[in-house]
Amino acid sequence: MNVIPTLEGGLSIQPETEADWMVLETIASDIGRPAHLAESLADLMDKESDWEELVVPDLEQNFNVQCRFVQAAIEDARKNNGQAVFIKAHDAEKWYGAINQARLSLQARYDLHGVEDFEDAPAELRSAHFRDRFYLTLQGLLLEYVMGESE
Amino acid sequence: MASPSTSKKSKPKAQKDVPWSVLVLDDPVNLMGYVTMVLKRVFGYNEERAATLMLEVHTTGRSVVWTGAKEKAEFYVQQLHSWQLKSTMEKAV
Repeated sequence: MNVIPTLEGGLSIQPETEADWMVLETIASDIGRPAHLAESLADLMDKESDWEELVVPDLEQNFNVQCRFVQAAIEDARKNNGQAVFIKAHDAEKWYGAINQARLSLQARYDLHGVEDFEDAPAELRSAHFRDRFYLTLQGLLLEYVMGESE
Repeated sequence: MASPSTSKKSKPKAQKDVPWSVLVLDDPVNLMGYVTMVLKRVFGYNEERAATLMLEVHTTGRSVVWTGAKEKAEFYVQQLHSWQLKSTMEKAV
């Protein structure tokens, strides 16, 4: 898979194999239920704040939009040209947010940062680790080349 | 996005006037550059101030990033949550 900056200030993700497409399509499934993130953030707030009632629905909607947008962009790219997924500059925050949701979800599910050695880890855990590293690389590129911030 | 405080009942003035702190908590996922960017966008901090606060989060596990009126603190926490940062608020000491 190649990921290169475009002249328009975005990124072009160029999958080369079926496995590359599958990794991209896994972003949405790694996110799972976007509501979970909204609820876990609400857990940080005092119960009296009514955060669950007043804020979580908006957050959930926002996270759902990010997830659905990225899922549709990947599906469309595969269906229409089968060569590249283009991330336009004005869509970068949605992409970053969706990928971040996927990484937060993986961390919550597998505690990846608590694992010291992936060599002998179960296949599922190693796979989650490699997806997390791939997502991290995409986030770094988005920050550096599209969102104007370097890590 | 609507302010979370719009439908709340009013509280006695003395309680309302207590300053509240907005805290950002460390997590192993959000990138340092991203946290800095979010602090700049949400609070309007310059690069140096935002990076200092981000490093405090990274090294001590939390940082008070803003202190002031409760309703505004709630608004800021809501913004930080929408950027997926772990954030909460507490009465300022």
